Amino acid sequence: MEPTLLKPAYLDYLRRHGHAPRTVFAFADAQGITEGEFYRHYASFAAIEREAWVEFGREARAQAAQEPAWQGYGSREKLLAFYYTLLEILKNNRSFVLLTLKRSQQRRLAVVPKVLDQFEAEFKDFVEEVLHEGRSTGEVASRPFLQDGYKRIFLRQLQFILLFFVRDASAGFERTDAAVEKAVTLSFDLVGRNTFDSALDFGRFLLQRHSVG
Amino acid sequence: MSDQPQESLPTSKVARAARFAKTGLKVGANYVQHYAKKAVGADSEMADLHQANAEELYGTLSKMKGSVLKVAQMLAMEKNLLPPAYAKQFQQAQYQTPPLSGPLVVKAFRDAFGHSPSEIFEEFDPNARQAASIGQVHFARKMGKALAVKVQYPGVGASIRSDIAMVKPVALRIMGLREETLRPYLAEVEARLIEETDYKLELSRGQAVAAKCGHLPHLQFPTYYPALSSARILTMDWLPGQHMQEFLAENPPQEVRNQLGQALWDFYQYQLRELRQLHADPHPGNFLFSHTDGGTVGVLDFGCVKDVPPLEQRQFLSLLDPATLADPARLETLLTEAGVLRPTDSPALRGMYLRTLRQSLELVGRPFRQDTFDFGDPAYLKSLYALGDDLMQDQELRQQREPRGSAHFVYLNRTYVGLFSLLTELGAVVRTTYAA
Repeated sequence: MEPTLLKPAYLDYLRRHGHAPRTVFAFADAQGITEGEFYRHYASFAAIEREAWVEFGREARAQAAQEPAWQGYGSREKLLAFYYTLLEILKNNRSFVLLTLKRSQQRRLAVVPKVLDQFEAEFKDFVEEVLHEGRSTGEVASRPFLQDGYKRIFLRQLQFILLFFVRDASAGFERTDAAVEKAVTLSFDLVGRNTFDSALDFGRFLLQRHSVG
Repeated sequence: MSDQPQESLPTSKVARAARFAKTGLKVGANYVQHYAKKAVGADSEMADLHQANAEELYGTLSKMKGSVLKVAQMLAMEKNLLPPAYAKQFQQAQYQTPPLSGPLVVKAFRDAFGHSPSEIFEEFDPNARQAASIGQVHFARKMGKALAVKVQYPGVGASIRSDIAMVKPVALRIMGLREETLRPYLAEVEARLIEETDYKLELSRGQAVAAKCGHLPHLQFPTYYPALSSARILTMDWLPGQHMQEFLAENPPQEVRNQLGQALWDFYQYQLRELRQLHADPHPGNFLFSHTDGGTVGVLDFGCVKDVPPLEQRQFLSLLDPATLADPARLETLLTEAGVLRPTDSPALRGMYLRTLRQSLELVGRPFRQDTFDFGDPAYLKSLYALGDDLMQDQELRQQREPRGSAHFVYLNRTYVGLFSLLTELGAVVRTTYAA
């Protein structure tokens, strides 16, 4: 059996039953393959879940970039477009999202589940790319040393949005949309040229004067 | 206010309340300054104070967009209810709301149709051409046709009730209004606002009014496209023309102004008398003016349509009838019937009500008592506002402030004052007799 079929079968089971199959053997058997064959594709059920998340992210990026308006978007809008597209995909898979995110939440609230590891790694690369672009257009302020930490800030933002989506009870998850707009605006206010840079500039100026005088 | 597209739409109640609190403080500070100046004998005009407060309040409200802004605009329409300084500030609102970010517009389309605007239309301008109070208008093209696509802000419908609950105390305290004055009004506003968030309803009403009023001369209604519309997206023809201020800036000749004014007048008369249904938002932003055929009015936005019950319609028309004003007994009967006068009122109170209402009717009904009326004379509208101010200042009346008469009159009144102020701005001479 192809892994492309194995994954939808597993996700289908998960959504229908609200939990993973008891054993890999039982699942493989129901698919008409041996347990050994299953392990040739995936080490565990968790591996399938991780891959599903990675694909959500890739699909969101690809879909957002297909939008003709994408070419005209600045960094902020590109990130917004990614989030909205991702949320659209997640909405269609909400049962799966709730199952995978809540399961880990039960153990320790608001701790980011391992199932997102690879998904988050790819998100960081995407953010890096978007920020790099933003620096070349001046949308994002160039701040050596400091900017290395940006990826982490945006990762936190992604996690915040996911948790917000999980807990959102508004119709059509409209409140999540609003949360995305707010969070992204805040983050770009922070990484854009702002008071902080002016203060830094001023400080530098004073120091220079001091050393000259 | 910056020209930057606005991405943050403060929707949580806490965030909005925080903004209000800030305004409360600043306005409070303005009052402190006012009284401090007074204490040292300096001259501080009450008008200055209103002006400062209005700007402050407007600054805050415009940041909130959504229905709060709409409520502010509606209050502005009811100039009788507001000191002039507030009314002026709030009227700017329609031209100044900043747009939403492009990706959110795309998302609204994907939510509604499963496709992005670029897939649906041959051309779609991602930058909004106009801001509407609960949405924004984009230009699009399909099959060679120029279209106006209205996109609603997300979450507006859900927040109306809490918005109104928050506007209420602010309106009461800062604008110096009384709770009884405001209550029926806010209830009406809330009902209309909730309707207004339903673009499907607006679409069917727009189609209906266009079908019924299409025969009236010099009016133009857009065609609506149901297949390209949803509860939050409304697609219609892009009508030619300019908004009032731009149009008037080019000094159109008097004949054109008259024809435009006449078209508006006939439109409202027909609605009230024949349809018993009013486009109850005669707000400059809802009309487009052009020189086509010597002056044509494009009618937009059927979000706020008011059904007038037969009883109220009859009462309202009888009150405007010239014969009523000439006959005090008839006026008294009518007012008793409408619930404005009550059998339990003392003779003194009754006399006071009759006197004030006669005065208002004389003024409000004046255009109806002449064959033609020249709205070009701003003195008329001024005295209309002055009357409102006087009524608010009247000690005797203030003590008696309790809701009297039908709440429907709120909208009728608003509609007519709005219409009169449009006509005054146009400076139109209008034939006001109604030929059925």
